[in-house]
Amino acid sequence: MSAPILVVGAVAYHERVVPIWEVFREYFTAKGVPVDYVLFSNYERQVEAFVSGRIDIGWNTNTAYVRVRHVAGQPVRTLGMRDVDSDWATLVVTRKGEGFEKPSELAGKRLALGSRDSGHAAILPLYYLAGEGLDAATDCDLVRFDTDLGKHGDTGDSELRVLRAVAAGDADAGAVGAPLWASLKGKADPMVNGLQVQWRSEAYYHCNFTVLDSLDSEVSGRWKQALLEMDYNDPALRNAMDLEGVRKWLPGNEQGYATLIEAMAQQGYLE
Amino acid sequence: MSASGSPPTKPATRVVDAGNIEFGDGLEILLSTVFQAAEPGQTIDVTTASRATALELPGWARSTGHHAERDWKEHNGNGQRFVVRLRRGDVVPVLGPDLPPPSDPMPLRLGSQFHTTDLISAAPGGIPSSAQPNHGLVPLGAIPETGGPDYAWRLNTHDDLWAEELTDLTERASSSQWDATTDIPWNEAIGLPEEVERAVAQVMTFIASNEYVALYVPAKFLPQVNPAFVDVLMWLASHINDEARHVEVFTKRALVGGQRGYALAATQLSLHSLLQEDDFSSASLLLNVLGEGTFIDLLGFVARNAPDAATAACARLAHRDEQRHVHFGISHVRRSQKLDPDSTRQLIAAVEARAARLATLTGLSPVLLESLTVLASGSVSAAALRQGAGAVKELTKLMETNRIRRLRAAGFDKETSHYLSELHTPNLM
Repeated sequence: MSAPILVVGAVAYHERVVPIWEVFREYFTAKGVPVDYVLFSNYERQVEAFVSGRIDIGWNTNTAYVRVRHVAGQPVRTLGMRDVDSDWATLVVTRKGEGFEKPSELAGKRLALGSRDSGHAAILPLYYLAGEGLDAATDCDLVRFDTDLGKHGDTGDSELRVLRAVAAGDADAGAVGAPLWASLKGKADPMVNGLQVQWRSEAYYHCNFTVLDSLDSEVSGRWKQALLEMDYNDPALRNAMDLEGVRKWLPGNEQGYATLIEAMAQQGYLE
Repeated sequence: MSASGSPPTKPATRVVDAGNIEFGDGLEILLSTVFQAAEPGQTIDVTTASRATALELPGWARSTGHHAERDWKEHNGNGQRFVVRLRRGDVVPVLGPDLPPPSDPMPLRLGSQFHTTDLISAAPGGIPSSAQPNHGLVPLGAIPETGGPDYAWRLNTHDDLWAEELTDLTERASSSQWDATTDIPWNEAIGLPEEVERAVAQVMTFIASNEYVALYVPAKFLPQVNPAFVDVLMWLASHINDEARHVEVFTKRALVGGQRGYALAATQLSLHSLLQEDDFSSASLLLNVLGEGTFIDLLGFVARNAPDAATAACARLAHRDEQRHVHFGISHVRRSQKLDPDSTRQLIAAVEARAARLATLTGLSPVLLESLTVLASGSVSAAALRQGAGAVKELTKLMETNRIRRLRAAGFDKETSHYLSELHTPNLM
């Protein structure tokens, strides 16, 4: 009897999602845990499909994961995440020479945020800055860039707008994810020339593969094992893993989402 | 991470002082060098004067496959310093074996010259006798990374493409380059009698047409050659470069005096049939040995009999290049027959097949014969024309004699050489 095919849902935030999943599909099939994939245009639709059982595994942003936990009506499990998801962080940047010692100094200033459904560029910045004594929602003049809503910041578009706004003087500080900043610095993008990092949040988890607790744990266990065995040094996988931004898959757990769960509840995202 | 933790008790494997260098100003290069030299799992403390850089280090580490462990501040005589401890990841940046230890430098001649012959003979790894059809665009001596795209080269056996003096010929081609703009005394071409200029324009147009096929044939084979055979690639590229300049110089000479010539249909037919040959060695026999060989005699004739110094210079410079191409062809065809006696039959069949396609051609076009005669005469006076006609007859004889001589040099027996010479296109190329 052939192995059951697990259906993975992912959001098509970029054209590269197709070549990534074509390679991954081939990989999982060769590993004896065949998958097919379904692409959604936004995470809300994917969450619906997941909860109603039309997909078996959801490749979720942290925001989508918290939403799934809230609406699934049963426990969910995380099967794995990228190495980069295990210590994601939010940065606050300013123009060079216009920095601050403590985030509370941003009171009364303009703070740029990314899409309001982005955990790292909108929801968590407000949460963590509050922990540093800055109630940005009331103390700052928020400059929001709500682009690509539904994609939870995956496209990076809103963060680029945040950086442009700070560089142009349309905002005094801006929140972006550490990976985007590292990528721009890595390629010496002129956009970041006049900017500098002033603050870094604590680390939190980002995306993960989520399954409903009702999924056969033997099947999900074999799939998880195959995921963790993906080797970045395998020439057949390297390009797809580079496109996905992963060098190593790590087992998932809930602990890195505690702050986002609290933040989304506080900010009314779970109502 | 906020650069506020406490220092660890255990020292790191290495310490790097980044000073004031920031990301974007070379810090990533410094770190990359240090991390490449470290072993997976080793810890490296990066010290920086910049708080912003300290905040960026974890992101850099993650994006390059490493990991940030902790951070703290230090105070020394120069003030506050930020330290971030990173752990080297186990990913390798390049999927290939380690680079081999350095070998001796390549041999140079006369103190500073690096000859192509020495590159080909001394480069590590060398040129293989056969190469995989999926071989990448990998320079000689380079270590290919795995995971590249699959190519599908058609010509993967070195012997099928090579000739003994190949590299030397390539080197000579490089040192014999000339400029069709400045190396021809173009002013000398102006002012010939109208009939003579018309004849020169026609002959030059004919030669330029033929140079096109000499350009297209090697250009057609070059992208089929396995990149492992860089000696063959360099040779073909030099051949193509030569022919591009010949097209240029003869087109310029055809037009410089204000006259225009015909691109004759018979010439087109002959050249079209040459482009249809898909076997490299057969094409070499047809183009290099028979076609360009015959053209050597034609160019020599033009150089000796041209009515002006510009025309003579065009022919003389092209003649020098064509000698290299003919040399290659003779050497290659001779070697092919020696390595595989069965190839003789295939080579003969290629000449026969082309002759069959050209059955409707019965001789050199009268338009061209007439133009060659006037060119050699330098005027249309009866005495001059008699002398010119005599020179053209001698050229025809010389072409046949030399064609047979070249076929013999290429390894064909006497009888076959006569036979193949007779089958050769009356269009000359």
